[in-house]
Amino acid sequence: MDMETTVNKIKVYASKTPSRWREEAEFRIGNKTWLRYSQTVAMKMLDRMEELGLTQKMLAEKMGCSQQYISKILKGKENLSLETLFKIEKVLNLKFINEPEFV
Amino acid sequence: MTFDNITEDGRLWAVRYDGEVDNALYIILDRWNDVRWLRTFFKNNFNDLVSHFKITDINQAINDTLDDAERLQYLIMDISSEADLDELFRHLEPSRMKEVLLGKEKAKIKNRRQHASWLRIYAIKLSQGIYIITGGAIKLTAAMQERQHTLEELTKMEMVRNFLLDESIVDSDGFEDYLRELK
Repeated sequence: MDMETTVNKIKVYASKTPSRWREEAEFRIGNKTWLRYSQTVAMKMLDRMEELGLTQKMLAEKMGCSQQYISKILKGKENLSLETLFKIEKVLNLKFINEPEFV
Repeated sequence: MTFDNITEDGRLWAVRYDGEVDNALYIILDRWNDVRWLRTFFKNNFNDLVSHFKITDINQAINDTLDDAERLQYLIMDISSEADLDELFRHLEPSRMKEVLLGKEKAKIKNRRQHASWLRIYAIKLSQGIYIITGGAIKLTAAMQERQHTLEELTKMEMVRNFLLDESIVDSDGFEDYLRELK
């Protein structure tokens, strides 16, 4: 069976809706730098949550946000605002950013 | 199940299983970039991580996975029309010397520093240079049969093979060749 015949047979079973895999992959490549930072934040948060015995629900209550949002942060895929980073630092007693020196 | 075209020329496909949000490639790349998912996985498989890779730091395991997932992602994205997919995929069983119809294949990163990569992309070879990705796994043990999550990948490969045969996506001549191979 030649390649064209095989491909044509497979095409009959092609998905009706387009896949988002390439879009997601391009997003990961295009946002690689801050995504890695977000992933590091998530790792540190998960370590501290385990130390403190905090669930996602408990952390969401302490931070005043939804559990769904905490879940997104812990995946390491969220572009965190300074406000959110500050809240995480405060609630979990972590330090991600050194305070700038004002002259 | 349906199939998604991964390369424009129809040489690489990925299975979209019934009830899943997207295809198998999307799902494995999503998981391998999800810190919480990876942490849970390595916690559940900590003994294998220590005994087979001598790694005791889960965050190191997560970071290594993120690095390897990125390299695999580039490998797939950079497949050109001239690229030979038979170079990317290898027989699942290294001892298999002959081609079989709808052979089970794997792709992994070579020449990784510090330790061998544990990421695997699994596929069925449709014919020369044409593959269908069925899934992927973090393989920490020597044999896939040793752990439930890798055993499930074998089951998925078998399910896709059967689908391709049942729907006559492969020709009967080839199937007879395959049966002769089994004898």
